[in-house]
Parts: sequence; structure tokens; C-alpha cells
Amino acid sequence: MAETKSALTDEIRALIGVTGEKVEASLWGLEREDLRRFTQAIMDPDPRYWDDEFARTTKFGGIVTPPIYCTYLSRKTPPGADDPITRAFRENPESDGIGGVDTDRRGALPPIPTNLKRIMNAGNEIEVCKYPTLGDRIFSQAKIADIKERVGRDGSPMLFITTETVYTNQHGEVLCILRASSLRR
Amino acid sequence: MVTAGELRHKEQLYYDDVKEGLALPPLVLGPMTPTHAFRWSSAIENWHRIHYDQNFAIYHDGLPNILIQGSWKQSILPRYLKDLCLPDGWMWKVSFQHRAMIVPGDTITCWAVVTRKTERDGLGFVDLEVGMRLQNDIESCPGTATIVLPIRGGRPIPYPFVPPKN
Repeated sequence: MAETKSALTDEIRALIGVTGEKVEASLWGLEREDLRRFTQAIMDPDPRYWDDEFARTTKFGGIVTPPIYCTYLSRKTPPGADDPITRAFRENPESDGIGGVDTDRRGALPPIPTNLKRIMNAGNEIEVCKYPTLGDRIFSQAKIADIKERVGRDGSPMLFITTETVYTNQHGEVLCILRASSLRR
Repeated sequence: MVTAGELRHKEQLYYDDVKEGLALPPLVLGPMTPTHAFRWSSAIENWHRIHYDQNFAIYHDGLPNILIQGSWKQSILPRYLKDLCLPDGWMWKVSFQHRAMIVPGDTITCWAVVTRKTERDGLGFVDLEVGMRLQNDIESCPGTATIVLPIRGGRPIPYPFVPPKN
């Protein structure tokens, strides 16, 4: 019986703990209008997001955002950028809307050098310490927290990869931590 | 659905009032529509066509319909748990997996059941089993969570929340 070659090479193992650049996720600091659109999209009418007078009476002392709002900021197109949608569809009329559109790789982690191309979301863990408030600047920093090898039912090797992204504000306070796991097979 | 008025006047759930096996009040959202999905795509600038272009989703990607976004689901469980903790508790941790797809027409029930209570440093930690169940009883987002609830007569939960050392 042929020996299955390990997918967890020394080169891949060396990536564990590699940290990306700390980058600012917010474009201009947290804005009321963007918060309105976001909270309506998650169907959350909480007055802590929009009623200044009420929010001042809460333990937060003012307007706050939903628990993981800050994790969605980094994918927004910066002003002045060449229109990524027009470019993507000019290059590929069958674009899925992701390829060629999401091109901002600031703070991105290095790719995993593997022939295992299929990527499956294996779950997320979210830890929340503080809610940002209006005007806050949000920063994010990602790292490859762990890579383990697993074996599929058919005996084929798989990689279980966990990345950890820490979101902080302009004071360096931790707002939330997002741990995302994926399977490569 | 829950209203702004209900969240403004939400009565505190105390650590003393929960026990293992207790099902906490659910949150029902939907039925979901393509417009809900489009609103979310626009809000976070997620232009993946499988979330708003039905022809692309079905004929290009072979999906049954456009899909409600995983990124949207990811915000719904924390939002639901936040509501349960208001006004003075804290939604500390939640982990979950993306299982069944959610498509237009689906109604979602966010649910939570207490699995363990632990008092640490004067604070009430409550472990939960959580999920987002569809109208046909299929579980779309199974997971676990830990919320922190105040203890009657106990100290306030610190804000910002400082996780326990171990």
C-alpha cells in the first residue's frame, strides 16, 4: 500500500505564527450613516446604535456598534480607487464578483503553499471585549494561528488552518478577535 | 422580530434566573428574500453574485437559488446573544459552523439553551448551545457560546470586558 505523502510540509509548518501587517480597516473612522445601513441589514433596531440621548444613559456612555461590526470594514473600496467592478468585468465578463474585485490585500497573510486547492469554511470563533463608538479608527492584524494535518475518509490528506485576526481601536484596546478555520483538501 | 422599544426597556436576565437546560427566548427572522440579501451585500460591499444574481447562482454555480450570506449569518448570532444579555450582561464568545444553506423563503429561528453555569470572580458565566434553525427544523449554524450575566447583589460586569485568566 502506497504511503500517503504528508500535506503538512516543513515549509507550511514554518508559517504557523506568521503575522500580517497591522492595517487600518476603517476609511475615515466609524460613521453614523454606515452604522445605520449595517444595523438595518442585520435587522437590529437597538437604540444604542442611533439614539444619542438614550445611549448616554447606558453602560457604554454613548453610541456603540453591533458586536462584530468592525470586522466588516476592511473590504470597502477606498475613495479614488479605480473602479474594481468595472475592471473585473472588463477583464472577465463572467466574473463572479469576487475574483478581480476584492483586490485590497493590505495586511493579508501569505498564501499556503499547497496543492490542496479546495477550501471549505470549517467554522468561526468570535470573542468580543469592547464595542467601538462613532469616530473610532479601527485596526486589524491577522496571523496564522495554527495548521494541523487531518486525513479525509478516503485517506487523502487535508490541512486544517486557523487564522486569528485581532481588531483594535486607536487607543490599542482590543475590540474583538475573530478566529476563522478552513479545510484545504 | 424585536422592536427598538423592547430593546430600550429590556429587563435584565440574571445569572440567578437561569439553569442548565433552560431554553432562552428565541429570535425569529424572515422569511428571507432576495432583497434582504441584496441589502446586506450593499451594506458591506460584498459583490459575490451568488448573493443577488439568481441566474448566476443557479446556472453558473449550480446552486438552488441565491444564498443568504455566511457573513450575514456570522453577525446574527452575536446580535441575538447581545440582545439576551442587555442591558448589563456581556456577549463574550460564540463559535459556530456554517452548515445548511439559507435561501429566499427560509425563516430563521435563533435559539440558545443553557448547558453550564460557572461563577468566577463574582461574575456569572453561562455556557450555551446555540444555532439558527430553519422552518423545516434543519440546523444552519450550530455552535456554542459563553455569555456573562450579572449576579443579583453582585458586582457589575466590567466594560470593556476583561476575559478571565483561565
